[in-house]
Amino acid sequence: MKTDLHKKLVDLYAGRELPSELNEDLEMAAFNDAELSHDMSTLRQTVDLLKNDPGPEFTEESYQRVLMKIYARGGNIEPRAATPIHMQYQLPMQG
Amino acid sequence: MPNDAPRESLAEKRLLKALSEGDPNALGQIYEIYGERIFRFTYRFLGNRTDAEDATAETFLRVLRRSAELRADGAFKTWLFRIARNLCIDKLRQHKLLELPPDTPLEGSEERTTLRVTVHAALNQLPQEYQDPLVLCDLEDLSAQEAANILEISVPALKSRLYRGRKALRDKLGSLMEGT
Repeated sequence: MKTDLHKKLVDLYAGRELPSELNEDLEMAAFNDAELSHDMSTLRQTVDLLKNDPGPEFTEESYQRVLMKIYARGGNIEPRAATPIHMQYQLPMQG
Repeated sequence: MPNDAPRESLAEKRLLKALSEGDPNALGQIYEIYGERIFRFTYRFLGNRTDAEDATAETFLRVLRRSAELRADGAFKTWLFRIARNLCIDKLRQHKLLELPPDTPLEGSEERTTLRVTVHAALNQLPQEYQDPLVLCDLEDLSAQEAANILEISVPALKSRLYRGRKALRDKLGSLMEGT
């Protein structure tokens, strides 16, 4: 019965959504259950791989190309103002 | 951090109102806020930069065209992602772009890049009903409620698909999981 509950909690464990008490309880149970232990660690690794994926970079070129496409299709859009050259670097007098 | 949410939603409310009144600055600001997330989401869906840029532009154009219907009740983000997702599905149908991205950026170490490519290849092999929750919840970090709203399913159904998707992805990755 307890094992069934543990199996149901594995997904929450993988997503790090379990309260610490249940987390510890599950980790203790995994000491005596190789299958549960394997399930917990591999599923958590899978979720971690996804959550740590930085994803594709939204480059300045992509930002500008999307804007151009919006313009070209008739979208009236006001992009962010470019930072003036003289504001891009801190002068010593600006601290 | 929790205090930022009402402020953000208030600012968003003002932006959406301005947009519905035809203020050209408003769309620009909405693009500033959500452009990157929508681009990343569409890129993950479509697998290449050109199509992702195209889908991102079209998403914001649809927002503009339907600005009169905008509801500033907090559901805007969900609505935006739903538009983007529907556009991606249309694009995939048109071009049958179900292959791994040809222009996956080679960022970081070779080992890290190989890992990313492997994970994305495995993800792309999963049924769409599993891919969607994984992309929205684990990659894009949306809440279960937001993801469920975007996919127009219940939260329990979303969680069930997420669980099965994680397991299916883990099984596809197989030896990689054993070795890490």
